[in-house]
Amino acid sequence: MITTVIGNYPKIPDLPAPGKWRSTVERFQKGQIDETQLQHVEDEVTAEVINEQVQMGIDVITDGQIRWEDAQTHFARRLSGFSINGLQRYFDTNIYFREPVAEHAVAWTGPITVSEFTFAREHSSKPVKPVVTGPFTLAALSRNVHYPTLKEFAIALGRALNRELKALEAAGAEVIQIDEPAICQRKQDFDIFAEASRVLTDGVKAKKILCTYFGDIGGLYPQILDLPFDVIGLDFVAGYRNWDVVAAAPFTRELQAGVLDARNTRVESVDELVRAVRRLTAFVSPGRLMISPSAGLEFLPRSVARRKLAALVEGTKVANQDLKGART
Amino acid sequence: MSSRMNLPLLATSAVGSYPKPAYLLEARRKALRQQISKQELTALEQRATREWVQIQEDIGLDLLVDGEQYRGDMVAYFADEMEGFAIAGLVRSYGNRYYPKPVVVGPVGRRHPVTVEWFKFAQSLTKRPVKGMLTGPYTIAEWSFNEHYPTRRELVLELARAVGEEARDLEKAGARYIQIDEPAIHTRPDEDFELALEAMEIVTDGLSAYTVSHICYGDVPRIYPRVLKLAVDQLDLALKNEHFALLETFKQARFTKDIGVGVVDAHSHRVESVEEVAEGIRKTLQVIPAEQIMVSPDCGLKTRAIDETVGKLRAMVDGAKVVRNELTGTREPTRA
Repeated sequence: MITTVIGNYPKIPDLPAPGKWRSTVERFQKGQIDETQLQHVEDEVTAEVINEQVQMGIDVITDGQIRWEDAQTHFARRLSGFSINGLQRYFDTNIYFREPVAEHAVAWTGPITVSEFTFAREHSSKPVKPVVTGPFTLAALSRNVHYPTLKEFAIALGRALNRELKALEAAGAEVIQIDEPAICQRKQDFDIFAEASRVLTDGVKAKKILCTYFGDIGGLYPQILDLPFDVIGLDFVAGYRNWDVVAAAPFTRELQAGVLDARNTRVESVDELVRAVRRLTAFVSPGRLMISPSAGLEFLPRSVARRKLAALVEGTKVANQDLKGART
Repeated sequence: MSSRMNLPLLATSAVGSYPKPAYLLEARRKALRQQISKQELTALEQRATREWVQIQEDIGLDLLVDGEQYRGDMVAYFADEMEGFAIAGLVRSYGNRYYPKPVVVGPVGRRHPVTVEWFKFAQSLTKRPVKGMLTGPYTIAEWSFNEHYPTRRELVLELARAVGEEARDLEKAGARYIQIDEPAIHTRPDEDFELALEAMEIVTDGLSAYTVSHICYGDVPRIYPRVLKLAVDQLDLALKNEHFALLETFKQARFTKDIGVGVVDAHSHRVESVEEVAEGIRKTLQVIPAEQIMVSPDCGLKTRAIDETVGKLRAMVDGAKVVRNELTGTREPTRA
């Protein structure tokens, strides 16, 4: 049983340490520095948060998505066919993103996350998991003025992002996570989601994680297991109903289990984690289980995110010992 | 329900915050490192408040705000002044904007009036009315971490009682207009909307002041027309940011409250033209009668530069004047 994270990580340290990234973006927006200088600082901060995850003992890390303004525009700005509109609330969080608008046919014009992945791999002694926002969520959080239907829009995005997955694979990615939080909110569109997922993963051999969060998959289980993903990521905090949902049928995939609350400062005790792991191993064997926070950690201040990682690692370690003890 | 007193047709106001001048930003940094005293900081906050009151009078706003020069963040400010909160640290809002997110660590409540002295100070500087400015209970709860209350409901209702006491103290201090911001009200539109309504009932219970609630950047269509049940006289909403698309929503059910129409984008650097503002108001008039309309920016302007803020306020006031003249057939002078 290993530990992983979902994706984003706080970009700035706690006060009074200077928020290097924040002031650099400010200077960039004012035209005082150029993009190369901004990228240099983004590289530095990325290396810093990679190091933090490695030091804390996380088994599979991400690059912390320091370079992402948000999970939507990071892709929409780099695909063709989109313009970018005003601020929108990101699900039920207090983080806002700029709404992409599909004005024309969307298409992949070149790698988006590949250099981020290769940079992270070079700076990490632990395996790195690239993350791509899934076509369904990107469609759901965009305004569509081009395609006649959501289905056509999502499938076109699936086709475009399929090339991104293949580019990541060509760059050596063995595991790729696809984030689809929107499916927890829009279950009535499961058929569209399924079709877009098939187009997205077509011909991609890397191990694929379907990551859901901010809700449960009640009503989509067990059919979600038939989709072409090797691992399903579930949020057991905001989606606490998932505990009951997965009891309804055998869990035939690997599980990335979000059991630490990524959106509250209260840090879970080792005991809580051990109990959660016992519940999880009742339906998934430890070898097919990754333990993670419930979502990206950017909803927390940096110091709390670090305490969550420490709790994750320590709790999983004790849970592993607990499981060994149970077997002997 | 309370009347708009003697404000003119298409009266202009602002949502709350204005940018802080460089000297105040510098002083706040120094205060954080304890390099200057609280008194020195307060004196500069008063100076900045005085300047903003003067700017608003010069531009010609009808209903003024104090500009919130003494507040950092709209939630953290109240959390700092109330019982039961600590500050967890900085959390990102969007882009490179961060806010100090509070955490509820014990029972919440007021120690003392929070905003009354600043209201009295700002009102003493002008003959025009100044709005009392509060953050609503649902938003304070939603934008804080909660390590104490077992349910959000308990936290929200306890906060509603505290914010309500503050509103009544403002009224006693002479506030005839009180704004209670609820920008988080549509965060959980199914699960929590009734709770947010119930909380506002508690806040405005027994007030005779004209009440406003500012709501922004979320799925307003999702809570319309239910939001018309919110216990305030006016809903102040961001229309410019979405190119007045919300008007389509308001056509579906009659807008039964007063509206504060956001006519300038609070998050773009571009200063709107007078004609652009006038056009926005004219579009609104096709859906909502003039008697129900007040004119304002989309949101607090604290993230804009000072010259952008002044430019936007001026375009807003002059744009409102253009349309007011069209409606009344009079000719007030407008700036070129």
